[in-house]
Amino acid sequence: MTLTLTLRTEPPARVLAAPLIPERLRALNASAVGALELRCGGETPAVGDLFEVSGAGTEQEVLVLSGDLRRFDGIGAHMSSGEIVVRGDVGAWAGAEMAGGVLRIFGNAGARLGAAYPGTRVGMTGGEIVLTGDAGEEAGAGMRRGLVAVAGRTGNGAGLRMLAGTVIALGGIGDEAGLGNKRGSLASGRPVEPLPSYAFATRYQPPALGMQLLRARELGLSVPDALVGGRWARWSGDRTELSRGEILIFDDEGSRE
Amino acid sequence: MSGYELGQTAIEDTFAEAFPMRYTRVLITAATEAWALEAARSMTGFATSVIGCKCEAAIERGLAAAETPDGRPGIAVLLFAMDREGVGKRIVERVGQSVMTCPTTACFDGLPGAQKTVALGQTLRYFGDGFQASKVIAGRRYWRIPVMEGEFLVSESVGVDTGVAGGNLVIGAAEEDVALAAAQAAADAMRGEGIALPFPGGIVRSGSKVGALTSKSMPASTNHQLAPTLRAQVDDTLVPDGVGAVFEIVIDGVSEDAVRESMRRGLHTAAGAGATHVTAANFGGKLGQFHFPLSELRDPP
Repeated sequence: MTLTLTLRTEPPARVLAAPLIPERLRALNASAVGALELRCGGETPAVGDLFEVSGAGTEQEVLVLSGDLRRFDGIGAHMSSGEIVVRGDVGAWAGAEMAGGVLRIFGNAGARLGAAYPGTRVGMTGGEIVLTGDAGEEAGAGMRRGLVAVAGRTGNGAGLRMLAGTVIALGGIGDEAGLGNKRGSLASGRPVEPLPSYAFATRYQPPALGMQLLRARELGLSVPDALVGGRWARWSGDRTELSRGEILIFDDEGSRE
Repeated sequence: MSGYELGQTAIEDTFAEAFPMRYTRVLITAATEAWALEAARSMTGFATSVIGCKCEAAIERGLAAAETPDGRPGIAVLLFAMDREGVGKRIVERVGQSVMTCPTTACFDGLPGAQKTVALGQTLRYFGDGFQASKVIAGRRYWRIPVMEGEFLVSESVGVDTGVAGGNLVIGAAEEDVALAAAQAAADAMRGEGIALPFPGGIVRSGSKVGALTSKSMPASTNHQLAPTLRAQVDDTLVPDGVGAVFEIVIDGVSEDAVRESMRRGLHTAAGAGATHVTAANFGGKLGQFHFPLSELRDPP
């Protein structure tokens, strides 16, 4: 049985939703989950005050959050296993410093999706995030490992100071993507002008990206076949760092579906 | 000769004797099925007998694009060796020399979830001379090795399991062309999931015996008992009356059941394709852990 939290009403202030991760809710029944407290402004309302709780934490560790959650920050932050499915928009820091598991968001996300919290260097270190809408600024900032796949666009500064890992934006990555990128991969399904610290290498069919796109499709993203088997321009950078990172830009417009 | 008959084909009352071996499966994909097949053929070349080639390998089956990790057409290959270390050495050599070198290919673990693994991309990555990079996709690590064409993508490791090697059928007929046609039909029927027929076309014309009559250093020599030209020359010939040519099909499989059912398909197909005699090779039952009596294959598949 899946644990489902359905938003009752919009909270009066922003809520830190980071405690709502599968490994912490495992084996808790609905009333125990409802009694957990979350930080909301200066208050600590119970989960049951904010959400209608049904089901229970299970070994399958699937948590469903439903509603307009734009005021909920840190959904899936620090999760290391299990799966969270969000049906609605989410706030900032979703999947921040995530270490494992799957976060599927059927909606839009705020800033710093899968990124590092302020004051820490390393963001996501594992796991997968798929987002059917658009992401805010600095998605994947500080990312070390894992996958962030966005069906729409990412805001400016995606992959900021990325160490490794992959950020894909089928609708295109915003400006200044990959600043300070060491070994990470950014992929843009739409034309974008890379930073001057990136240099064009070639156009080719990147096999690993193709598999990551298939994986994103498996997790619920609508990925056109043309992107999976198409040609991408590879830009290497950031030259101010190791120059071992890459920005892949879909460059096969003739085959787009 | 004791045994039974399937139509006009005499089936000898004997058994095939087989041995446990370690094996792995790799999935080779490419831009086209033809290129995947080129790589698979190259990789499984000179891999007929573990005695002479250090491993036995063969194409298992073709894979539709929907069956492969990267959504491209592919070929599944099985490779057998005496132990896990042997599998590890041979798979790195063969993927490195025959798959990585082949245009457009990628190579994936075909035994995900196996308890034992051997390194593949983990070793081959050094060909990248420091420019290689890895990606973890759906919990599995792959290596991207930059090559002149683009990138070669390869699984970090491949699973290893215990299989059964050395199952066999020996097929004879009066005329060579008839015996060969029966053997070819049998080989075609015997291939399938979990089965490798490591010899050319799946068929051996030079079956061997352990050791030699004339030398102590020879590990194997011609099976003189089944050589029709020696029938009047040796006292211990096993060539039945009326048989002028004999072919052997050696079967390696992922399990005892897979080998048995492959043999059943081959036996009945050979009988329906003109073979006059079918028998099997063994070592008296003293060496191999697995025995496949032909009497147990009487029921059709």
